[in-house]
Amino acid sequence: MSIPGTIPETRRPVGLVARLERRLGETGILLLFLAPAMLVIAVAQFYPLASSAILSFFDWSLARSPTVGPFIGLDNYARTFKDPIFAGTVTFTIVFAISSTLLQLACGLGIALLTVGESYTLRFVRTLLMLPMVIAPIAVGTIWRMILAARVGPLNQGLAAIGIDGPNWLGDPMWAAFSLIMIDAWEWTPFVAVTLTAALTSLPGDLLRAASVDGAGRWKSFRYIVFPMILPVLVLVAMFRLIEAFLTLDIVFTTTAGGPGYATHTLSFWIYQQGLKYFNISYAAASSWIMLLACVGIALAFLAWRRQVGKWQVSR
Amino acid sequence: MNLAVRLGRATLIAIALVVALAPFVVLFLNSLRPADEFLSAGSGLVPSHITFEHYAEIFDPRGDTFRYLLNSLIITTTSTIIAVLLGAMAAYALARLKLPFRLSIVIGVMFLVIRFYPKITVALPYFLLMRQFNLLDTHLAVIIAHVSLTVPFVVWMLLAFFEDFPRELEQAAIVDGCGPIRRFMLIVVPLMTPALAAAAVLTAFMSWNEFLMASTVAPNFAKTLPVRISGFITDKGILWGSMSAMSSVIVIPVALFALFTQRYLARGLTVGAVKG
Repeated sequence: MSIPGTIPETRRPVGLVARLERRLGETGILLLFLAPAMLVIAVAQFYPLASSAILSFFDWSLARSPTVGPFIGLDNYARTFKDPIFAGTVTFTIVFAISSTLLQLACGLGIALLTVGESYTLRFVRTLLMLPMVIAPIAVGTIWRMILAARVGPLNQGLAAIGIDGPNWLGDPMWAAFSLIMIDAWEWTPFVAVTLTAALTSLPGDLLRAASVDGAGRWKSFRYIVFPMILPVLVLVAMFRLIEAFLTLDIVFTTTAGGPGYATHTLSFWIYQQGLKYFNISYAAASSWIMLLACVGIALAFLAWRRQVGKWQVSR
Repeated sequence: MNLAVRLGRATLIAIALVVALAPFVVLFLNSLRPADEFLSAGSGLVPSHITFEHYAEIFDPRGDTFRYLLNSLIITTTSTIIAVLLGAMAAYALARLKLPFRLSIVIGVMFLVIRFYPKITVALPYFLLMRQFNLLDTHLAVIIAHVSLTVPFVVWMLLAFFEDFPRELEQAAIVDGCGPIRRFMLIVVPLMTPALAAAAVLTAFMSWNEFLMASTVAPNFAKTLPVRISGFITDKGILWGSMSAMSSVIVIPVALFALFTQRYLARGLTVGAVKG
């Protein structure tokens, strides 16, 4: 808010910017600051989102017709729920997302505890351990596809050297699912580690020292002091990771392409195939809205949980 | 700390390092491996001799790799500049605006929500929208998509910083008759450079690596490197050599860049969860 009357006439700034500022006022300018970002979001996110919701009630396959077909109500949704492949996809996606997230949380917490500290070496180690996360997920897939190649991949050759006949990692339905979970965990454990390291670093050092003076053992001071204090961050990280694992698409493309059969179709991959390969636009839109609502549900549940954790912490 | 504990800790860290870094080594060695060695079992981790044939092949001047590389560079740079600029302006506005009915919070939540739904929901209608505007297969289509995906991160990151920004610094400028444009440009931006750098680093990584939107709206001319890589896996089999070389081109510069910008990157990633 500008303060009218406090600026002497002679000091009043001139020039385009100053005139603009005076003309629009504080609030006007700030709204103008907000506008471009809002515009981009509206065009590229919210409009498509709304348009997808509308399309999901129509019958439209781009392969059959260039224009939108008739209104068919909830038929696309009914069809989705009746589709046995969709059901299989959902099951796989849930198993994949939960296993991978749990694995990442466990490994990430372990790495954070192992590498927390300010020494030069530890900082460097942390930087190196971050690398899997910064590279393109598409490339993560190609790298692991090479490593896991059944006959010539280095992993199976290594196993053969010690007398183990390695499985067909990406070709067998069970092993392919297992491999995808491992690859996703490899890629995203660093995110958990980085965030939890920051949380650990922000803990008051006195508290830990006081605990060790009290004679609390390592495990006890972790269990009763450190863990409860980083729990809110852990819950948030778990939420971000679970939702993103639920949406996994890229690594499926370059490792298994959803196969063998439909064994490793994640929901995103399945919808991608429906929409952008077969151009069943309205069917894909309905499926993706089902998925969207599930994601919002997961997020709300986690945010409610975090509130509980917060309250519980305050009450202690 | 006694010796056994220290040794155990060092061993575990070493294992973590091997698991995290070995795939990079495999990738790089494979990109230098002669083509005939890919299909024979027992060729070992290290190639029998080093060859640059795959790099020569993908960078064949008659091929399109240079164009894809250029596309990726153009799209990443432009998206990053626009996203950080728009995001910083929006975050500043949200931190300073006094809107009725808690509108600032509503707008803030709007930006946050973008992280929580499947982008595949947006991809298809966005494709149709771009088709309508005749923007399919242009840099602009990908840039708009990338800005819309990254601006929310920038806004949320910078909001946390703006809330800590000492208002006294701005008060003096207000008394001198500076409106928000000049305060933002002359006081806020210069003092926020580290935070802006963190936002820029994060945005650049996200844009460089993004696949879904780029593959949806830019299948040919404006194709980016990640989209190109997915094309190596064909029904006829995999071009291992070219694929490793191309993957190295997309991975290694980013990994090196990450080593140098680690501080900013870590800050950018954690600010949402740890501070919020």
